[in-house]
Amino acid sequence: MKPLRIALTKGRLEKSTIALLESIGINCDEIHNKGRRLILPIGDGKFEVVLAKAADVITYVEHGVCDLGVVGKDTILENGTSFYELLDLGFGRCKFALAGKKGVDFFHGYNTKTVATKYPNVTREFFEGKNMDVRVIKIEGSVELAPLVGLSDGIVDIVETGSTLIANNLEVKEYVTNISARLIANTASLKLRKNEIEELVRKMEAQVK
Amino acid sequence: MKNNIKITPEGTRDYLFRECTAVRDISRKIVNVFENHQFHRVITPALEFYDLFCDDSIGISQESMFKTTDNKGRIVVLRPDSTLPIARLVSTRMQNEVLPVRLYYNQTVYRNNPTLTGRPDEIIQLGVELIGSVGKRADLEVITTAVESMQTLSDDFRLEIGHSVIFEALADDLNVSSDVKDKVKTYIENKNYSALNDILDKLEPGETVSAIRKLPSLFGGVEVFEQAEKIIKSSKALKAIDYLKDLYNELQSLNLGDKLSLDLGLVQRNEYYSGIVFSGFIQGFGDAVLSGGRYDKIFDIFNSSMGALGFAININYIAEQARNSTDKNIPDVLVFAKTDSDIMPAIKHTSELVRRGVRAQFSDLSDESQAREFAAKLGIKEFEVIAL
Repeated sequence: MKPLRIALTKGRLEKSTIALLESIGINCDEIHNKGRRLILPIGDGKFEVVLAKAADVITYVEHGVCDLGVVGKDTILENGTSFYELLDLGFGRCKFALAGKKGVDFFHGYNTKTVATKYPNVTREFFEGKNMDVRVIKIEGSVELAPLVGLSDGIVDIVETGSTLIANNLEVKEYVTNISARLIANTASLKLRKNEIEELVRKMEAQVK
Repeated sequence: MKNNIKITPEGTRDYLFRECTAVRDISRKIVNVFENHQFHRVITPALEFYDLFCDDSIGISQESMFKTTDNKGRIVVLRPDSTLPIARLVSTRMQNEVLPVRLYYNQTVYRNNPTLTGRPDEIIQLGVELIGSVGKRADLEVITTAVESMQTLSDDFRLEIGHSVIFEALADDLNVSSDVKDKVKTYIENKNYSALNDILDKLEPGETVSAIRKLPSLFGGVEVFEQAEKIIKSSKALKAIDYLKDLYNELQSLNLGDKLSLDLGLVQRNEYYSGIVFSGFIQGFGDAVLSGGRYDKIFDIFNSSMGALGFAININYIAEQARNSTDKNIPDVLVFAKTDSDIMPAIKHTSELVRRGVRAQFSDLSDESQAREFAAKLGIKEFEVIAL
């Protein structure tokens, strides 16, 4: 039997995901000693782990080259939808928020607002839901800079503690949605390998709750 | 301006040698299945009016269609689907036909996918439509045709059946706006349990809410019926489940084992389905290769009422699987004409060889050493010189 291939998001979610896998009795030594390898057999060859950037996890799962993936809801909202989202894993919790300069009413006035963000799709959808026309500018790095230097009226970004906002005299105007890590599955894999996947999901679910 | 003369648009590709023979072979096998069930081929235009596909109930987004205009400025699209054109054809040109009619197609459809996703925009699709009949007989025959088609693709396949009325009946019992209903539907389709729970938590708890909560997990074998009957109270939904059970039991005679499964939360992306729905999956391909169902409601668009069902199979992936193989069909014999006066005899001789079942090819090269070199490079074993 081919091992079940799981794509994991590198970085922020990596540690918690490995802890979760270990808590359900899957040996993850290979990941701890990964060196430069990109595909790692774990759990006595029953599973195979691929470490990838968040958005790539979705790509690999959508195309079916990975059966399962662990990725943040932020990435899911921004990129693509054609896969199954099976489980809220509970870690990596934060929020999407609209923020702007402290004391300034973002929604005031008739002029079209400009919003800087790393997440243009999330931003567009949020304002569409408010029937508001906004100008969205994509920024790659520290989004907080945009309103400070006068590029935009506000930002839509992930807020964890809010300390970066406070340090830059910005404040949350409205929360967009909650975010946490999710377990996703390829559409065909869930049908073709139902039993294996369901067993894993049941074990994870018991740990998460 | 840069001329794009050496590349093809994103989402399209050339098919060569093995890829083409793979597409041809698999199409033949599937067409065979269709024709054995007495379906007849139709060809519809690649260009159709946008109006045909823009109805909300169709579920094909405006963004996913390639558009241009005709000479009167009306919007036309490259057909994104073959079912609607066939429904159009049947409700207009075939309205006096004896019903039911059995039609099949083998043609490309076009979808403008988001950039850089690696998905094909030009999809080679084969499908059947059985139009003008309702009920169990038609449903069972079309599902059997789908099973036989899947069997030509792979031994390791799954065909999953569901019923669109199960979700609809439950959603109708929910006292919510159509926006919320759409969201619930998407979450069930994507088995997005967490978002589904979020949205259901905001609603008044009750039988319907807890049934919908469970709906995406109701897939698998026969045990699904028992689970469903415990949690679903809506009589309309239960009636649909009973019908599905009946079909499932009948289909057991095909001895498919776990290749035939159930998904009570199966909601197709196209919204025109109004009865049984089904999807087919094979190992090694990440999405459904076959999808179909009953779509009686579609004929409302044409102000006629008719029962209809069908399915479509995407076969692009077959070519994808063949892409690593570069071998061509190499002929056994290369026939060379010594002088110009030998050309016609050599061509006729080649045809004669072919008639006798030899893979022979006439050489278009006029220099014998060049022709021999060509044969050697290609690996053609026999070189025959015609000289009178």
